[in-house]
Amino acid sequence: MILHPSIIALFLSSVLISVLLLYSSYYGILILRKWDIKSGSELQLDLERRTYLISTILTYVFGFQLISLFLFVYTADILHPLFVGAMCASGTLTVNSYGYPTLILKAFNFIIAGLWLVLNHTDNRAYDYPLIKSKYKFLIVIAPLVVAETFLQTKYFLGLKPDVITSCCSTLFTSESTSVASDLASVPSIPGKIAFYTVMALTLASGAYFYLKGRGGYVFSALCGISFIMAIISIISFFSLYYYELPSLHCPFNILHKEYSYAGYPLYMCIFGGAVAGMGTGVLMPFRKATSLMEIIPVIQKKLIVIALVCFLIFTVMVTYRMLSTPFKLEGY
Amino acid sequence: MIELSAIRKVFNSGRPNEFTAVDGVTLSIDSRKITVLKGPSGSGKTTLLGIIGCMARPTSGRIQLTGPLTQAVTFSVKGAAAEVTSLPERFLTEIRRRAFGFIFQQFNLIKGITVLENVMLPAYPMGEDFKLLRERASRILSDLNLSGKVFSKVEWLSGGEAQRVGIARALINDPAVIIADEPTAHLDTKLSGEFMGIVERLKNEGKTVIIASHDPIVFDAPIIDRIVEMRDGRLSGGPQQQ
Repeated sequence: MILHPSIIALFLSSVLISVLLLYSSYYGILILRKWDIKSGSELQLDLERRTYLISTILTYVFGFQLISLFLFVYTADILHPLFVGAMCASGTLTVNSYGYPTLILKAFNFIIAGLWLVLNHTDNRAYDYPLIKSKYKFLIVIAPLVVAETFLQTKYFLGLKPDVITSCCSTLFTSESTSVASDLASVPSIPGKIAFYTVMALTLASGAYFYLKGRGGYVFSALCGISFIMAIISIISFFSLYYYELPSLHCPFNILHKEYSYAGYPLYMCIFGGAVAGMGTGVLMPFRKATSLMEIIPVIQKKLIVIALVCFLIFTVMVTYRMLSTPFKLEGY
Repeated sequence: MIELSAIRKVFNSGRPNEFTAVDGVTLSIDSRKITVLKGPSGSGKTTLLGIIGCMARPTSGRIQLTGPLTQAVTFSVKGAAAEVTSLPERFLTEIRRRAFGFIFQQFNLIKGITVLENVMLPAYPMGEDFKLLRERASRILSDLNLSGKVFSKVEWLSGGEAQRVGIARALINDPAVIIADEPTAHLDTKLSGEFMGIVERLKNEGKTVIIASHDPIVFDAPIIDRIVEMRDGRLSGGPQQQ
């Protein structure tokens, strides 16, 4: 293990997050088994008070969970000079077999932690805990995933050996190999762009419709999920090329570097933020008819729609501007 | 109506100094009536008042607001009974502001600011137009014969005047329920009589008044509708249900 400050910060915070999540899950199970709002028993009143504590703990825990994805990528990126052959985070993550699984699980946990925060925020706005059981059921699904992430991340950090010769993005994200990354890199440019702009246009249109009419929430939510996936594929397959101005470099991490003005950070924040906000509207859809949430959910959903649309719009404008402003032309590749 | 169901309040639960202040009180308090909680020191009156007024949470038991009192509950279904012990803190704050006015034994006025400012303070979070608020506060003070003291600092007031400022402050948000904890403890017989006169006026205006007191001037007053006796955290002189 390399004792770098970022690694120590990520390691300690992940352990802390896991411990607090297990503590919260214990009370989550107790709430699922014993919660009875009609009862005035000592246990019920204790659980009601305890839920404020758990809710506050989890807000901070998941808040850091969101930040830790970017810290992990940043850490992988700044460590690349330590490994022979690594030129960016892509190479650092290939040093051992736990790097990419950790990243993928972190990205997945980012989304579900964000969705839990949406659910929790909504529940806290109501007077009668209408989502209490739903949010704790969800928590019990999330907790093992976060613990697994801590395990994978720890294995990854423990397996970081500075003398390892690794391969980097130029061999991973190339259309000439047979991995998932190379499949993404070999998506043809023009059909890919048509698909990207079509999905974004549909998402923006469905968001506007949902905002104005209050209908089509599930469609908008699903489209936000598709936009997220489409945005990731598009970065790897063609948008990254406009940043690097090289027809064969499909790396999703180099755009985090200073020479590309750290453009990757706002791009990834936008697509992850848009995904959480957009899918968050869908998570709230089944609860719109709850008496105490009837007036609350539409207000929250409208805010989430605006956040999702702004995020995806900023992403689209940024990549389109780069594509149009650079002298590099991709057609033919 | 305020309906208390098996209310229990335990301090330092599970520790050697555990103390049960209120022990399984079930009680219905009628709207627009004066109810006195009577009992010796340490009988649980003040704790029970605090729980009724949403200042403290019970260890177990539930409290429901029904009838006209639900008008103060803006977040729930209109007209439906509101259970207050399970409410998250920010909803309790709203209920405290709208439904209850508190008169404290020690008056709890804020020194260094004027009588008028003390009275207006509980209404500031409501965001009401300042001019209207100031007019209402002046009118309430005038009704309590404090017109001449509006701009006086509270530390210059006599005990009786300070008590009346406390009453004016309790009334500023036009609450349905006035809760008074040992309101005559620091007043002489004449001032205590005046206080009971004000309480009668509040009752005639349709307020529900709940007073904790062991002062005979209070519980022997003819205007009192109901006396609830407490001892050792329980309702005394009968079953725990009244």
